[in-house]
Amino acid sequence: MSHDGHHSVVIPAPGPEFVPHTVAHHFDTPVQEFQSAKLGFWLFLATEILLFGGLFAAYFYYHEVYPETFRLGGQQLDWKLGAINTTVLLLSSWTMAMGVRSAQTSQKQKTLMFCGLTVVGALAFMVIKFFEYKAKHEHGFVVFSELFAPYDQATGSLAWFKDYDGVMAGVPHGHLFFAIYLTMTAIHGLHVIIGAGLILWIMVGAAKGRFHNGYFLPVDLVGLYWHLVDLIWIFLFPLLYLVP
Amino acid sequence: MSAHDHSHGHDAHGHGGLQMGHHHISSSAMFLNVLIALLILTGITVGASRVDFGPANMLIAMAIASVKASLVIAFFMHVKWDTAINKIVFLSSFLFLSLLFIFTLSDHATRRLDGELTVRHTNVQYQWTQPKADPNHGKH
Repeated sequence: MSHDGHHSVVIPAPGPEFVPHTVAHHFDTPVQEFQSAKLGFWLFLATEILLFGGLFAAYFYYHEVYPETFRLGGQQLDWKLGAINTTVLLLSSWTMAMGVRSAQTSQKQKTLMFCGLTVVGALAFMVIKFFEYKAKHEHGFVVFSELFAPYDQATGSLAWFKDYDGVMAGVPHGHLFFAIYLTMTAIHGLHVIIGAGLILWIMVGAAKGRFHNGYFLPVDLVGLYWHLVDLIWIFLFPLLYLVP
Repeated sequence: MSAHDHSHGHDAHGHGGLQMGHHHISSSAMFLNVLIALLILTGITVGASRVDFGPANMLIAMAIASVKASLVIAFFMHVKWDTAINKIVFLSSFLFLSLLFIFTLSDHATRRLDGELTVRHTNVQYQWTQPKADPNHGKH
């Protein structure tokens, strides 16, 4: 205990391949440090739920108003690629959970392996997403080069939505589905990229022996972030690829 | 406390990292079971979407997704073993989210829509604009 604020608590390393953890000086105990960080991170994850929640509300509202637009729009997506990406994310969520467990039980090599596999999953997800976006671009559903072009008031046309083959011509506001599809998957994809970066950062720390049964807080928090990415996708997959 | 034997952290109810307080460490077998359940539920999601249940398709898809989400939250995110305050903080976000959904969708359900939106609500609009259909109208 360091109530005088001058002596930090040090958690010893469980073995020669690990390094001790020094509790930040503004915390009295390791438990306080852990619980403070954890509570803060849960608050952050709650804001993430609300961030995506607003987009889900937009989805449900417009799906209610233009069900035909959403059904036809969903059919333009490749549900098989969506299902593969769902499986990839579920597997990576499992490897992440195992990575956290490995850190908790001071298994350095396993921590590195499972975190590495999670990053591979993140990359696989983004590669598949890239090819999906490429196909949407080619059909003119989302023309990325025109994404930020101004709305043409005279013709009422959106530069980023061309629909070259006119498949969405028979339904009102065909662009709506693709606007929501792109916004939701792009913000989700951004989380995948950030998550992969954070896991790489965890791997650097793990390689240095920073994480063990005495201290695994960063691994735990990054794990929670990664599971949230999976959580969001669990809802995105049926809503976008299998539009009910 | 650093001398504590952590080897039993490999079983389902072991504790590791006593220096950071008591932590539940899940067994590998449990994580694998959760993964298998999630994959099976994904298959059921795809299968259910192939059958036309009418408006129930949305409810079924969201019900399965909610079960999957609950598994991820409870087991992968360890919420089942987390402190009460952390449970309240995270799960309350879903409470507020449901408020957002309820008020947004109830607005849509109770609104008299105008313009092109009335195409889907022709009957509703007819009742609204044809009060003269009442046979007793003007008889007294």
